[in-house]
Amino acid sequence: MLAFFLRSLEAAMIFTFAGVGELVDQRGGVLNVGVEGIMLFGATLGFIVTKTTGSYTLGFVVGVLVGALLGLLHAFFSVTLRVDQVVSGMGIWIFGFGITTYIGSAYTGPLGLERLPTIGGLSPFFFVAVALVGVVWFVLDKTSWGLAVRSVGEAPDVADVSGISVTRIRYACTIFGGALAGFAGALYALYYNPVWNYNFLMGWGFIALALVFFSMWNPILLLGGAILFGTLWQLSLNPELLLPGLFSRYIWRTVPFIVTILVLVLISTDWFRSRWGGARPQALGEPYVKE
Amino acid sequence: MFGRRTPANDLADEFWANVQPGEVLLRAQGITKRFPGGVVANDHIDFEIRAQEVHALLGENGAGKTTLMSILFGLLQPDEGEIYLRGHPVRFSSPQDAIRYGIGMVHQHRKLVPAHTVLENILLGHPKARGVLNVREAAEEVAAIAEMYGFNLDLYARVWQLTEGEKQAVEIVKALYRGAHILIMDEPTSALTPVETDRLLEAIERMTANNLGVVPFITHKMPIIFRISDRVTILRRGRVVATLPTRDTNERELAQLLVGREVLFDIQKPPATPGDVVVEVEHVTARNDKGGLALNDVSFSLRAGQVLGVAGVAGNGQHELAEVLAGLRPVEHGRIRFLGRDITTASVLERWQLGIGYTPAERTEVGSIGDFTLVENVTLNYFWDERYVQNGLLNEKKLRALTESIIETYQVVTPSPDVKAKTLSGGNLQKVIMGRVLSRQPKLVIANLPAQGLDIGATEFVQRRLLDARAAGAAVILISEDLDEILMLSDIIAPMYEGRIVQLIPAEQADKETIGAMIAGGRTRANA
Amino acid sequence: MTLTGYRIRVVRRATLPAWEAALFSLLALVVGLFLFGFVFIFADASPQQAYREIFRYAFFNPNGLRLSLSRFIFLTLCTYAFIVPLRAGEWNIGMTGQLYIGALTGYGVVYLFGGKTSPNVPLSPWVVLPLMIGASMLGGALWGGIAGWLKGRWDVNEIVVTMMLNFIAFWIVSHTIKDGGIFMNPGGRGEGFTLPTSLRAPLIGGVPFTILLVLGLAFGIDLLFRRTSLGYQIRAVGLGPKAARYAGVNVPRISLVVFLLGGAIAGLAAYHYFAAVPGVYKIARDYNTIGDLAFFGIICGLIAQGNALATLPVALLFGGLSIGGRFAQGKLHLGFGVDYALMGVLMIILVAFQFFYRYRLIVDRA
Repeated sequence: MLAFFLRSLEAAMIFTFAGVGELVDQRGGVLNVGVEGIMLFGATLGFIVTKTTGSYTLGFVVGVLVGALLGLLHAFFSVTLRVDQVVSGMGIWIFGFGITTYIGSAYTGPLGLERLPTIGGLSPFFFVAVALVGVVWFVLDKTSWGLAVRSVGEAPDVADVSGISVTRIRYACTIFGGALAGFAGALYALYYNPVWNYNFLMGWGFIALALVFFSMWNPILLLGGAILFGTLWQLSLNPELLLPGLFSRYIWRTVPFIVTILVLVLISTDWFRSRWGGARPQALGEPYVKE
Repeated sequence: MFGRRTPANDLADEFWANVQPGEVLLRAQGITKRFPGGVVANDHIDFEIRAQEVHALLGENGAGKTTLMSILFGLLQPDEGEIYLRGHPVRFSSPQDAIRYGIGMVHQHRKLVPAHTVLENILLGHPKARGVLNVREAAEEVAAIAEMYGFNLDLYARVWQLTEGEKQAVEIVKALYRGAHILIMDEPTSALTPVETDRLLEAIERMTANNLGVVPFITHKMPIIFRISDRVTILRRGRVVATLPTRDTNERELAQLLVGREVLFDIQKPPATPGDVVVEVEHVTARNDKGGLALNDVSFSLRAGQVLGVAGVAGNGQHELAEVLAGLRPVEHGRIRFLGRDITTASVLERWQLGIGYTPAERTEVGSIGDFTLVENVTLNYFWDERYVQNGLLNEKKLRALTESIIETYQVVTPSPDVKAKTLSGGNLQKVIMGRVLSRQPKLVIANLPAQGLDIGATEFVQRRLLDARAAGAAVILISEDLDEILMLSDIIAPMYEGRIVQLIPAEQADKETIGAMIAGGRTRANA
Repeated sequence: MTLTGYRIRVVRRATLPAWEAALFSLLALVVGLFLFGFVFIFADASPQQAYREIFRYAFFNPNGLRLSLSRFIFLTLCTYAFIVPLRAGEWNIGMTGQLYIGALTGYGVVYLFGGKTSPNVPLSPWVVLPLMIGASMLGGALWGGIAGWLKGRWDVNEIVVTMMLNFIAFWIVSHTIKDGGIFMNPGGRGEGFTLPTSLRAPLIGGVPFTILLVLGLAFGIDLLFRRTSLGYQIRAVGLGPKAARYAGVNVPRISLVVFLLGGAIAGLAAYHYFAAVPGVYKIARDYNTIGDLAFFGIICGLIAQGNALATLPVALLFGGLSIGGRFAQGKLHLGFGVDYALMGVLMIILVAFQFFYRYRLIVDRA
């Protein structure tokens, strides 16, 4: 049972990294629906590098770098070229899915390295994730940079006439979000599930995206949501812990996805929106065009 | 951190040391700006502002005001001409430059983040706000400035909760806190109540007493010029027509300079011939998007051939009233009857089919679809009409003929009915929308801010069409923030304040002062 | 930006003539295929040779051409499943899930008629085939309709919902065809039961008859958006949702309708692939790899800019590339999934080209 909870927290850690990155991105007004693609890239390239060189460090570095690069690409498309952010994000997702399927298939199979060390049964990165949530919350709420990011996400025209560079802030947020998603992907492939397989990420990037909506753009709530979904995911893999024999193991696997939909519906209801709905960054998804 | 002096502040402080009363603070010389397509928005404009002076800029839409304002604030760069600050030539490549040189801007469409607090808005982009915010120290400094100019601000309130006047005060304090010595104000009194206007005038007086220069840009609210300004410069078609001391001129002369011809200020309205009751609104209550009470127990009834003028300052429920009548916003309590039939819960489409026509204030977002051609935009009111749809197929030939006839009758300037709506100017777009809605010959017309932002010619045209609809036996609900327009067109006037109709007043008994007081403070005639 | 005396400016377009839009799509395609050549170079193959092999097999080999045409039908249907909602401004990336559910409901009909017992059960195709097709379309429509209903009723983000529905459908199929699921092949190999020979779809020159349905659909969808009131309302919701609501369009209903239509078309694609393509005739074990190819529909739809007729040549090209790519994969010793890589490269190029649809570069003397 303890092992189950530890695994759940580790799943939560990966959701948290990807989700916090996307959250910062969205607070700055840029929607990136391509988190899944970036995570796939981070996971696959991190996996390949570590498998061929035997160095975990290198794998993580590559994961972060490729994530940052894809973040930069998304920023270039959506901020500089002003392509529709959904189109650009979808592009990055399909790009990631297509390319990683091709280059990864030669490496199908387990990583075959000694597992990374743990602290009290948990990956040290779990504590990093928790600390990151605190830091992001503080920076967003209490510093001038956070104020700039939030203003750019709420009303870029206002930020602009106040002397804030909308472009710079949006690039920074998107690259940061990409780097974290890439790292989350690498962590998935190098630690949580170190076996490369066709489309082995199973929609975690999309769940992370849903978590951001669910969190009301608050990093602390995001951490809570990540723990909830981490637990659900583990439960769907080990249903015998709770209700042995109720459904087939395949049906259990659908549970996290069903819950994601239910949560999205809940936060979209008028009842919920009228109470907590004000948090959505008003300029989310809108390219900023100077008049 | 607070307390550290940054270069941006040093620049402003040193640059603006020892300003003498009457000294020329800013001089713009020969400012010229051309836009692609050969439009000369500003044609060799000369203009100056002195310390302790309020120098108003007056011009119609399209006269080049916005361009000039953008140039002074660094949003646009002139093709020719120079700007001098205290005699030194300067170039602004961005608003940031202009702000650093001590130019402040108060926008008509407030540039504030609604979800943030007043203090956060004021601190945004301030050079002293670096890294971890020292909120307490900043709050003290800001509060001191607000008090100095007579503004009473709750620094921790969210901006969306504020009235228009309070938002404007936030913008003013923000500019002053950043060290503005010249304050540009776009339509400073446009959305203010008379009380707020008085407060603003007092603040401006205090600013000029502090050696600041103030430049209000005004479209056609001429009376305010005489209350506010020392000098006035009139722009027409991108050029300066005249610069006059305000005390040496009068409204008639200004109007003539503004338009370039003698202006008659009123349209002749034929006497009313009221018919049957068309619409009855009974104790209607409705909420706004934030869940607040927008309409509070509103009742009225209107007959065919009558115009109901709904007057009020923006945000007092007029907009929600229009949406409730059009079926776009649910009614919480109360009832609406149209031609004797209860339509309280009728859908939008049913209301169109029954003969209710609505021309919204948001012309580009709600009233039309920019990526649709004019024919397709006209189809918005006909895609369900059996005369134009057979077996689910649109009759393109008939729709095109209809569009062409609207273009002709409404004098829409367009190369063809196949251009996209987003290529039309505001006035032409409004004519298309009006023409489309009125071509249905609705029995009830709801016109929300029909003339807002239009030039004098288009305004007059739109107003005449509304009177034509009235003459043809329609009931017309006119929502306007312009009391002159309300008085000129209405048969019954409904001043609104905080979601209520203060009192229904027959037009012949109405006067501007009483209505003005009602929309400002909710006083009824009895205790006025 | 200024370069050697010339000034380059970016100007927002007010309108884009149709021929220019088509030109940019074509250009994106060419650039994408050019860049994809690097994939071959990395695999130590010559791009020219690779493309020659791909095209020769896809379009000039009778076997390859039949496969290409089958794939073309599949991709066209996936594209239509995507563009109908797209015209209303909504993203259906749930073709995959709608496909899976459509396959299940289609085979459900066969199961009800006792088709699971043996591949030799004599069943009347005149009765069962229409029911199969109808059931597949209905299944896909209902699965898509969930997303459309949620979008219309509460404005729930349709991208995440359709993606989640994909995974849910994926596991439901596994549940049905594996570990003793009701549709499991009695052979017990973790795949669906085989379609009785009596129910094999009629072929026209080796190509399933569904090609006729696709062509009919192409003209139907084109007509829908050009001439009908419903198509007009869908487009109005896509380009101006607030204006559409103001004009009395029932926006939630349109959301539901476009997803029902899209889902039904994806269901038809499921029938085509899993029950009409020669050599398949069952829900195969690796059904997910074909399901994910449905995402090609997104690319086709974007290149064709939501135009049903323009979709046809694009889908034919991609069908050929995908079949030829698999062939070249074996012949040139490339890794698995060349067609997925192609999908990725094309998609990202296409996104970059979106810029040209909205902006124009003007070069003049400074």
